[in-house]
Amino acid sequence: QALSSNGGQVPVIQRTPIYCGACGSKCGLYFVRTENSMYIEPNPNHPQPGMCARPASALQIWSHPLRLRKPLKRVGKRGEGKFEEIDWDTALNEVATKLKEIADKYGPESIAFTRHDHMSWHLPLIAALIGTPNVIGQEETCHGASTAARLAVLGAGGPPSVDPDYKNLSYLILVGRNLDAAMGSVRLLSIAREAGAKIVVIDPRAPNLAFSSVEWIPILPGTDTALLLSMAYVIINEGLYDEQFLKRYTNAPMLIKQDGSPLTQSDLGQQGGAYMVYDSASNEVKPLGAAADPSLMYEGDIQTQSGPVHVKTVFRLLIERVSKYEPRKAAEITGVPPDTIIRLAREFATRRGVIEDGWYSARNGNDFDMYRAILILNTLIGNIDRRGGLCFQEPAKFPNSCTVGPTKIDTILGVSLPPVKSKRVDLLKYPLAVSAFDALLDAAITGSPYPIKALIIVGTAPFHRDVNTEKLKRALEALDLVVTIDILPQDHVDWSDYVFPDLMFLERSEISSAPWTLDAAVIFSNKVLDPPPGVDARHAFWILLELVRRAWPDKAALIGYTEKYSDYSLFEQYEELILYKILDYLSRAWNISKESLEKELREKGYYVLKRKSYEVKPYKARLATPTGLVEIYSLVALKHGLDPLPDWRPPPGYSAPKEPNEFYLITGKDQTVSGHFVFTWNSKYLTERCVWMNPSDAERLGVKDGDVIVIEGVDNGFSAKTCIRVTNRVRPGVLFSYAFAGGHVSALIQPPYDFLRLGVNPQWFTKGYVAPVVGAGATNSVVRVRI
Amino acid sequence: MTRLAFLWDQSRCISCGACIAACNAGNYKSSTSSNISWNWIRTNIKRIELDRSIRPMVLLVQCQQCENPPCVTVCPTGASYKDSEGLVKINYRLCIGCRYCMVACPYQARWFDEEVWAPVKCMGEECLERISRGERPICVAVCPANARDFGDIDDPNSSISRRLAESRYVKLLENVGTDPKYYVVVGP
Repeated sequence: QALSSNGGQVPVIQRTPIYCGACGSKCGLYFVRTENSMYIEPNPNHPQPGMCARPASALQIWSHPLRLRKPLKRVGKRGEGKFEEIDWDTALNEVATKLKEIADKYGPESIAFTRHDHMSWHLPLIAALIGTPNVIGQEETCHGASTAARLAVLGAGGPPSVDPDYKNLSYLILVGRNLDAAMGSVRLLSIAREAGAKIVVIDPRAPNLAFSSVEWIPILPGTDTALLLSMAYVIINEGLYDEQFLKRYTNAPMLIKQDGSPLTQSDLGQQGGAYMVYDSASNEVKPLGAAADPSLMYEGDIQTQSGPVHVKTVFRLLIERVSKYEPRKAAEITGVPPDTIIRLAREFATRRGVIEDGWYSARNGNDFDMYRAILILNTLIGNIDRRGGLCFQEPAKFPNSCTVGPTKIDTILGVSLPPVKSKRVDLLKYPLAVSAFDALLDAAITGSPYPIKALIIVGTAPFHRDVNTEKLKRALEALDLVVTIDILPQDHVDWSDYVFPDLMFLERSEISSAPWTLDAAVIFSNKVLDPPPGVDARHAFWILLELVRRAWPDKAALIGYTEKYSDYSLFEQYEELILYKILDYLSRAWNISKESLEKELREKGYYVLKRKSYEVKPYKARLATPTGLVEIYSLVALKHGLDPLPDWRPPPGYSAPKEPNEFYLITGKDQTVSGHFVFTWNSKYLTERCVWMNPSDAERLGVKDGDVIVIEGVDNGFSAKTCIRVTNRVRPGVLFSYAFAGGHVSALIQPPYDFLRLGVNPQWFTKGYVAPVVGAGATNSVVRVRI
Repeated sequence: MTRLAFLWDQSRCISCGACIAACNAGNYKSSTSSNISWNWIRTNIKRIELDRSIRPMVLLVQCQQCENPPCVTVCPTGASYKDSEGLVKINYRLCIGCRYCMVACPYQARWFDEEVWAPVKCMGEECLERISRGERPICVAVCPANARDFGDIDDPNSSISRRLAESRYVKLLENVGTDPKYYVVVGP
C-alpha cells in the first residue's frame, strides 16, 4: 500500500510485511519497494520488530552467485562435490524410487530428516505420512541443554516459552548469550535501557553486545555454574531471597529422604501420593500446598511405617550444595574475583534482576546444570512471571501440522493417520533430548538400535552445526541415500546424492506463531519475489510432498495432495489450503473472525491474540512439573538418574588445557552470523573469520595480528591453519572462533566467495561429547597452538 | 533555521551491522561490487573496531555533515555543496571525479564509486528521498538498539535535540575546525 506520496513529486513507496528467515527468529520486517530500489526495514509495531545485518543483506542472498540453481545428481565420490544438473522430474522420481526401496527393505523408520528452523512445522506431517518418527533437528548443539533445564525446573518447553521481560526489566544478566537474535528482544531491551537498566554479560569473549555500555565478565569456559551457585550462596547467606515465594510457589520446603527421594503420604501410611512438607504453624508434616507455614529449614526424623526416616527440606539441601561455592572458592574455579561475585549477587537480588534462560547454548557438556542454576537464581529472588522478570509466554495456540495421539496421528487437514510404530532413534538413548543428532549418526554407522539408511537434510548445515566431524563423514558414507534441500552450498552438499534448490524466505509466504514475544501472536510473511533468472528453485514443502506422492501416491492422497500439484504452478493452491486450515483453527481457538485475521496478517504482518498477563504461573496456574511448582529440586532429573540439584563439574566436553600452548577454543554467534548470512558479500567484511587471541597470549607466543598459526585438537588430533585476530575481546588462555562462518570446504564455493574458506570450523576440533540423558553436545574444545 | 544532524549512541550500539548493510541495500541496490576506497562494502558507514583498548569499543563513522565542510571548500566545480538545511551534498552533474574532496575530508567519509564515477557519501539517493518524504534515513530507521537519530538540532523539540540535551556526547576531530554535526553519544 502507498504509505506516503507527495503530490506525485516523490516516488511512491510500498511496504509489504514479511518476517525474516535469515536466522530462526522470524523478526517482523517490511519489504520496501520504491521506483528505484528494493530493501528491508523493520516493522515497528510488530510484536517482534527486527532487524540486523542479516535481513538487511537478504537481497544478496536472493541474487547470490552460489545459489543452487538446478537439481543436482552426484557423479563423483561422496565428499567430492562433483555433480551433474538433472531435470526436476528425473531427480524426484529417482529419489522417490530409492526411498520406497529403503522403506520396503528396512522399514519406514530408516528414513530420517534433519532440519533447522525452516520446514520445522511441515516435516512432522511428511514424516507421519511416510511412517517414520525420525525428524531430528539442530537442538543437540542449540537449545537442547536449556530446554531440558526449563523442563526440569519450570515444566516449560523450548526457548521462547520462557523469556526475560526485556521491555520492563531493571537488571539483566546474560550468561554465554549475546542477544544475537531475536532483534525484537534488543529493540524492547532498548526501552529498558532508556530507563536505566543495567546489563551484565558473562562470557569468555566479548560478544558484539559488549560494545555497548554493559559490564563484561570474562569467565573461564565451562565454569559458569560455579559462579551462579556462588551467587546463590551470597543471596541465601545475606537473606536476600524471597522467602514467601520459595514457600508458596517452589518445592523448597519439600522434605527429602536420605536416599534422595521425596517423602510422600504413602511413606506415612496415608492415602495419596502427595509430597510432604513440615508445617511450622502446626508442627506437623503436611502435604505440599496444605501447610499454613511450610518450613524452609526443617531437618529431623519423621516416623514412618517402616520406622523413623531422616529428612531435610530441599532448601537445606540447596544450602549444603551452594556452600561448596563460597565466593573465594568459586573465584578459583571461574577466574572471576570474589568481590565481583558478591557484588553481582547483591545487585541482582536488590535490583530484582533477571538472568536470561538460554537459547543457542550447548558449549561445554555441563550446560544442563548451568541452566538449572540460572533458573534457580531467578526463583530465589521470586522474579518469576512478574513484570520485568523471567516470564512465561502467552501461548498462541498455533496448531501443529500433526498431533501424535496414542492410537492415531491427527493432521491439520482434518484426516488422521496411523500411528508410527518406532520410537525416535535419539530418544532411545537421550530421553530428555529435544534432538540428539549424534544418535542418528550412530544408527547410520552401526545399525543400532535400528538402521538409518536415508537422510534428507533440509535447510541446515550439519558440518558446521554438529560435534564430531569424522563421525558425520562416516555416517554420510554409510547411508544408502543422502538428499539435500537448500539454497546455498553448505559443506554437506558435497556428500549428497541429490541436491534440490529451495526458495529463500522472500520467495514464499509463511504463517507462524510469533516466537520471541511474551504476547500471544500470529505472524505472516508475504511472498515478495520470485527466484531470480536462472534459479529454478522450488518450495521445500512441494519437494517433500512430491517425494511422498511419487513413492506412495495413496499416502499423499490422504492429505489431498494429488498428481495435480506436480504442476508446480498450481502448488500455491495447496499452500493456501493449508493456510486456511490454520486460520480456521485459530479463529475457532480464539473466537475471532477468520476474515479479519487473514486481512490483518496479510496487511500488517501480525495479529496479537493476547497481551502478556503477569503473575499467572505458578501463582494461579500449575506448572507442568510433577509438583506443579518451580522445582529447585528437579524430580524429572531424579527420575532420569541425574543429580536433582545443579552442581558444577569440570567440563566433560574436552580435556582441560595443560601446556602453555594449549587453549580453550570457544565458539558462538553474533548478529553477523547465521548459516546463510555468512555466504553474503556483506559478511565478507562484517564477519570476522580469523580466530581471536588475547594480546598477552600473542605476545607470549610471539605472534601478531593477521599471522597464520596451526591449531590442533587436543582430543582428536585434527589440525588446521588459521589466521589470528589479536584482540582484547577474548580472555587470556582462550581462543574464539565464530560458529558457521569460517572453514567452509564445499567444492561448489567459487571465487570471489572463497573468503568462506578462511578461518576454521570449530566443530573440527570437538571431542564429540554428548551429555547423557539430555543429549547436549559440547561445541567447545581444547586446542594446541603451533607457530 | 533548520540544521539537520545525526546522532550515534556509542553506549547503545551493539555493532549488529544493520545500518551498514541497510545503507548498502537502500542506497546501493545490495551491490556486491567492491568499495575499493575503503576495502569495504558499498555503504556510507565505516566500522572501526578499537579492540586493543582495555574496553573493546566500536566506532561507526560516516559523513559528519560539517558546518565548515572541507570537501566543499576544495571542490573546484561547486559539485559539493551545503544545502539550506545543513546537509552536505553532491551535484553529480558538476562533479568531474577529481577526488579532492576525498583527500580533504579528515574523516575519510567519502568513497569513490566507479559506477557513477564520483565520490559518494552519506546521504545516499534513497535516504535523500526518504527525508524528502518526511521519513528517517535508512540507518536510523533500521537500528534495533535505538542507537541512532536524525533531525533538526535547531528545533529544541526534535527527538535528536531532546536526546542531546540529556546525554553526554563528543564530536569527532573537533580540533580540525569542521564543526561536525555527527554527535557521538557516550552515555546519559
